[in-house]
Amino acid sequence: MATTKFRHVFGRLWGFATSCKKNSSTPIGSRILQRDVEKEEFQYASTLCLSKYYSVFVVRLAIMVMLAILIGLLTILTWHFTKIYTTKSLNSLAYDLRYELLQRPILRMWNILNSTSEITMAQVKLSQYVIRSHGNLTTQENQVEMYEAMRAVTWALFASRKALNSITVKYNNGFVQAFHRDLKDNNTFYIYSDLANYSIGASASSSNSDINYSSLSSQESWNDHDNKSAVWYRQPLDPVTGEKIGKAMQIAPEDSIHIAGLSQVPDGVASWRVVVSKFTDSPLLSAALPVWDPSNKSIVAVVGVTTALYSVGQLMKELVELHSGHMYLTSLEGYLLATSTDAPLLTNSTKPPKLKMAVDCEDEVIRLGAEYLKKSSGNKFPPSHEVHVANVRLGHDRYYIDSFFLNLKRLPMVGVIIIPRKHILGQEDKRAFKTLVILISASMCIIVIGWVCILILTNGVSKEMKLRAELISQLEARRKAEASSNYKSQFLANMSHELRTPMAAIIGLLDILMSDDCLTNEQCATVTQIRKCSTALLRLLNNILDLSKVESGKLVLEDAEFDLGRELEGLVDMFSVQCMNHSVETVLDLSDDMPKLVRGDSARVVQIFANLINNSIKFTPSGHIILRGWFENPNPCSDNANYLMEEKNLQCAQKTRARQHENHAKRTSKRDNKAILWFEVDDTGCGIDPSKWDSVFESFEQADPSTTRLHGGTGLGLCIVRSLVNKMGGEIKVVKKEGPGTLMRLYLRLDTAGDDTEQHCLVDIANNGLVVLLALHGNMGRSITSKWLQKNGVFTMEASEWNGLTQILRELFHTRNSAGINNDFDLHYPIHESLKSKLLSIQEIKNPVFVIAVDIGLLDLSTDIWKEQLNFLHRYVGRAKFIWVLNHDTSNTIKMELRRKGYMMTVNKPLYKAKIVHILEEVVKERNHEMQKKNMDELHESDYTHCDAASSDDSDISESGPCNPVSSTNHEKKSEKVEQFHRLSLYRINNCLIGLTDEHSEANNTPKKEELCQNNQNSPKSLSPEQDYFPREAHQGEDSESRGKEEHRIIGGSARPVNGKKSLEGLRILLAEDTPVIQRVATIMLEKMGASVVAVGDGQAAVDALNGLLGVEDFRRDSNLNERNTRSSSSQTEILSFPSYDLVLMDCQMPKMDGYEATKAIRKSEVGSGVHIPIVALTAHAMSCDEAKCLEVGMDAYLTKPIDFKLMESTILSLTRRTIS
Amino acid sequence: MDVVTQMQRQLIQYTSSLFQEGFLDDQFNQLQQLQDESNPEFVVEVVTLFFEDAERLLNELSKSLQVEQESIDFRRVDAHVHQLKGSSSSIGAQRVQRVCIAFRNFCEQQNVEGCLKSLQEIKQEYSLVKTKLETLFKMEKQLFAARGSISR
Repeated sequence: MATTKFRHVFGRLWGFATSCKKNSSTPIGSRILQRDVEKEEFQYASTLCLSKYYSVFVVRLAIMVMLAILIGLLTILTWHFTKIYTTKSLNSLAYDLRYELLQRPILRMWNILNSTSEITMAQVKLSQYVIRSHGNLTTQENQVEMYEAMRAVTWALFASRKALNSITVKYNNGFVQAFHRDLKDNNTFYIYSDLANYSIGASASSSNSDINYSSLSSQESWNDHDNKSAVWYRQPLDPVTGEKIGKAMQIAPEDSIHIAGLSQVPDGVASWRVVVSKFTDSPLLSAALPVWDPSNKSIVAVVGVTTALYSVGQLMKELVELHSGHMYLTSLEGYLLATSTDAPLLTNSTKPPKLKMAVDCEDEVIRLGAEYLKKSSGNKFPPSHEVHVANVRLGHDRYYIDSFFLNLKRLPMVGVIIIPRKHILGQEDKRAFKTLVILISASMCIIVIGWVCILILTNGVSKEMKLRAELISQLEARRKAEASSNYKSQFLANMSHELRTPMAAIIGLLDILMSDDCLTNEQCATVTQIRKCSTALLRLLNNILDLSKVESGKLVLEDAEFDLGRELEGLVDMFSVQCMNHSVETVLDLSDDMPKLVRGDSARVVQIFANLINNSIKFTPSGHIILRGWFENPNPCSDNANYLMEEKNLQCAQKTRARQHENHAKRTSKRDNKAILWFEVDDTGCGIDPSKWDSVFESFEQADPSTTRLHGGTGLGLCIVRSLVNKMGGEIKVVKKEGPGTLMRLYLRLDTAGDDTEQHCLVDIANNGLVVLLALHGNMGRSITSKWLQKNGVFTMEASEWNGLTQILRELFHTRNSAGINNDFDLHYPIHESLKSKLLSIQEIKNPVFVIAVDIGLLDLSTDIWKEQLNFLHRYVGRAKFIWVLNHDTSNTIKMELRRKGYMMTVNKPLYKAKIVHILEEVVKERNHEMQKKNMDELHESDYTHCDAASSDDSDISESGPCNPVSSTNHEKKSEKVEQFHRLSLYRINNCLIGLTDEHSEANNTPKKEELCQNNQNSPKSLSPEQDYFPREAHQGEDSESRGKEEHRIIGGSARPVNGKKSLEGLRILLAEDTPVIQRVATIMLEKMGASVVAVGDGQAAVDALNGLLGVEDFRRDSNLNERNTRSSSSQTEILSFPSYDLVLMDCQMPKMDGYEATKAIRKSEVGSGVHIPIVALTAHAMSCDEAKCLEVGMDAYLTKPIDFKLMESTILSLTRRTIS
Repeated sequence: MDVVTQMQRQLIQYTSSLFQEGFLDDQFNQLQQLQDESNPEFVVEVVTLFFEDAERLLNELSKSLQVEQESIDFRRVDAHVHQLKGSSSSIGAQRVQRVCIAFRNFCEQQNVEGCLKSLQEIKQEYSLVKTKLETLFKMEKQLFAARGSISR
């Protein structure tokens, strides 16, 4: 396992090394794409980490191996020291012991030899003395006497030495005297030869003695002869006293003992030999010495002494018994002399007994030892060779073998001691083995435990490494995935222009085609269809592109101040038109404390709600769609509480919110300008399954795929909404609601633009004794409006149908006047109780002003009954103000009829706060006016006509309204009021274009007014077929090209050929453009449209042209007169001839002073004068950031090059319309 | 009258070929629409203006992008190209405009090589479109001479 790991590690390291090499080998200068570089870096990092990971492995292994080696060494050393020193000391001790052991028997032997030789010497000396004292042995008596004396002397010696085996004296005449001690049965014998025989032979011997004396050489032969013929006797003796205790028995000569004869002393010196006796089973040591006669010429006798070696063996036995060893002595030839065992030393098989060789010994140990020695030292045992072997295996055991050489004169001996090793080192060996086993097992345990510990300790590290490696790989995967998705998004974002341009071109071309008259009806229908499809495709494209833009992070939110309420009102207006066909009511319910001005991206905010409402409309066949909005102070605890309350009780949401708002109004956030704005889009549609609440916000996700067939759509809308909401720091989710439908709740974090004056206008309405009768069709809208009015101190009554309205009217006025005009209804409709109480409370109001808002839908429009109904209502016209709430599709006949009857206040559905406020203010003002100047005779007609095309851009421009030259020409008293009216309406009504029909207006204004009317009347109609795409295109305002096309369709459609006039007739336009080509083209274009143009070459000239003439407002001339001059396009003189300009077309990039600077300068000069000249940017930059920049410096609109004829026309028209009117 | 019809056809064919080959785009049509009795030479006038302007700009550009120059003022170059783009788009010289866009990208990247390449391309495209337009005007003139008025 370890090897495979190693291999793995090695492989990794190798790979790392090669990758490093690769890295270094790439030339630095070569162009590597950024991504590749990143990738390589990344790989490098990951390889580094991986190598780290494997190096940990290596380190771990190294630590393990080191630990193993360390512990192994420790074990070996411990064992070595404990073992070796003990063994050594033990060995030396054992050697000493063995040496000592062996020394002692050898000493004994030595002693024995010494004593033997001493005895022999003593005997010799004594014999010499005795023989000398009996010098003359001529007589038998003398001879006997001498023998007796010899016997006594010999006995004395013999008795004094107990260890002696025998003492023999053999005389030269053949006579033998011997004492013998049998060690086995402890008997002592006296052995002698027949004296009588010798006495006979004495004479002969005397003669022989001469011979003997004369020739020594004959002695031996004599002796031998003598031995055979002699008769020997053995007489037992008392061992202590030496008294004869038994009869002498005749024995064969030399039968029992060995008698040392002359043969033993051939050269007359002492001799040693080992002999074997018949009676003892142990070898005997015998010494022999000759006894010389006094003259020293001949040997008289030979003395022999034998000593048994038995005692040596005995001693050895005693010595080694303790050690259970063996010991033996051998002669130089290898014959056993003594052993420590009881094994016989003599061979019994043969007669006479002989000495055994050590190798033939019956004792196994001795035999094996002897064999070993023989083998090791060869047959020839060298003298002075000592052998010490410590560990010899003999049989099954191990032994120490030591041999010593003992060099005695004539009798060299070898001593061998064999001691079993077990006896000396037995325990030690056993212990050593045990210690070794214990040590090894202990070290193994330690190693194993150590490894386990290392594994456990490093496991964390390796695990971490593993995780890190995994993390790295996952990061890499994620990066890849992100990169690929990013590529997609970026691709789409980059493609946006390329995709939209052809689409815009297709639509534009279709428009051209459609405006062609020569198409047949069929073709026209087809083209219309194609156009619808194209717009649908463009919308889808826009959605996808938006999404990808958000995803790729390219979407930059604008940060501009805008009126949120106005935007939303515009939105609701727009959708209400669409809802009309569905019988769905669109209601806007914004709380009063909503900050009026917020900072943010108005187009995107509107897009959010447009998408949401669009979605709701799609799935709501009937019922209502409410867009609620309220302000929340970023104060968590109270918000939560409120939030929960709201969640619980949606029914009384209004009340809760009202309370909440009151709270919040008091502590307006001044420390933090970020406000949280809550919104709800509530519909009564089919609803969304709770399981899909989260997923509906995913791309291409639809709550119910089957609805695609029915409703269409791609499922991108909500995704865009969520992306945008998130981008604005908010959240969106689907919230549970009671009843059918969907409730989407979202909040946005927007900057509030400081503290705005809240509810300042409402003061006017309250406490003026207003009584509002809301006769409206939609329940939701009516109740919300009514509640809101009541909250603001306005008395309201509600009626949802014609009958209810008439009843209330009758009750209201008949009871007050107490004179019934029409009593018929009274009987049919009894008064409702609650109504009655209301009526009573109304009666308490002093000087009430009745305002009746009548939905035109309440009248029966299908038949002609509505005329009668109108007449009926007309009766009350003196007592109440009527406000007619018109539908978008209300026919002109009805409008004409209303106008004929003198109803001046009409308003388009839906009726929301701002409209009501405006109307009520109007009413109040009118009343005040009437009260103050009752004699004033004037006609005042207000025409509240809804203009759908108005967007935030238009509203900005509308501020310049009061200052335009047309209004300034009104010198009547009324003009003051008009001004006032304008100012108010500018704040309150964003998208209600107010047209003032002034009978006294000057003649030259009339055509423009007519045109405007035309425009206004046309616009709703031109709008309706384009409801599908209009919301997006008109309000998004982000892609100038597509938007432009759409806009020009909507607005330009009415402006172009309707009345055969040139659309820009009478406009004076200052064109600041440096490129001569564009200058020329634009000039011609504008002139074609009827405008008069002054062209200047740079920004500075433009500023000068404006500044030099701002003061002279009164100075006017017909622009047409100057057309000729304009064409020549040399600037200064013409500029002087032009008193003022209605519009400036400003190129952005110009020499000297660019468009931005010029605009800033113009705006700066305008400060204080109240003048606002529309400036349209002309730029080749088609990015939205440029647009933002343009608008930022104070421009009003934005045109891209190449200049599109129609787009320019429509833009200029939209900016100057109010000026003209 | 055959000659006139033939010339007329030739002119129409030539014009459409210009559109097909991408030399001109819709903007040129708009220009032609703008031309009427009050200013009959409008197109020629504008195009001539364009030629003058473009030649001036191209000279400037060549000067700015001279290789010997140590540091190239890309902002200046960019401004010139921007102008050229604007004027070319205004007469509908589509191909010049396209190269201008590429040129501007190179300017943003400060890519000298790319700029020089683009300059060459612009010059080429410009001379092409100039010859084409001159031919066109010539034909128109011939037609006008032949018939007395241009018929589109």
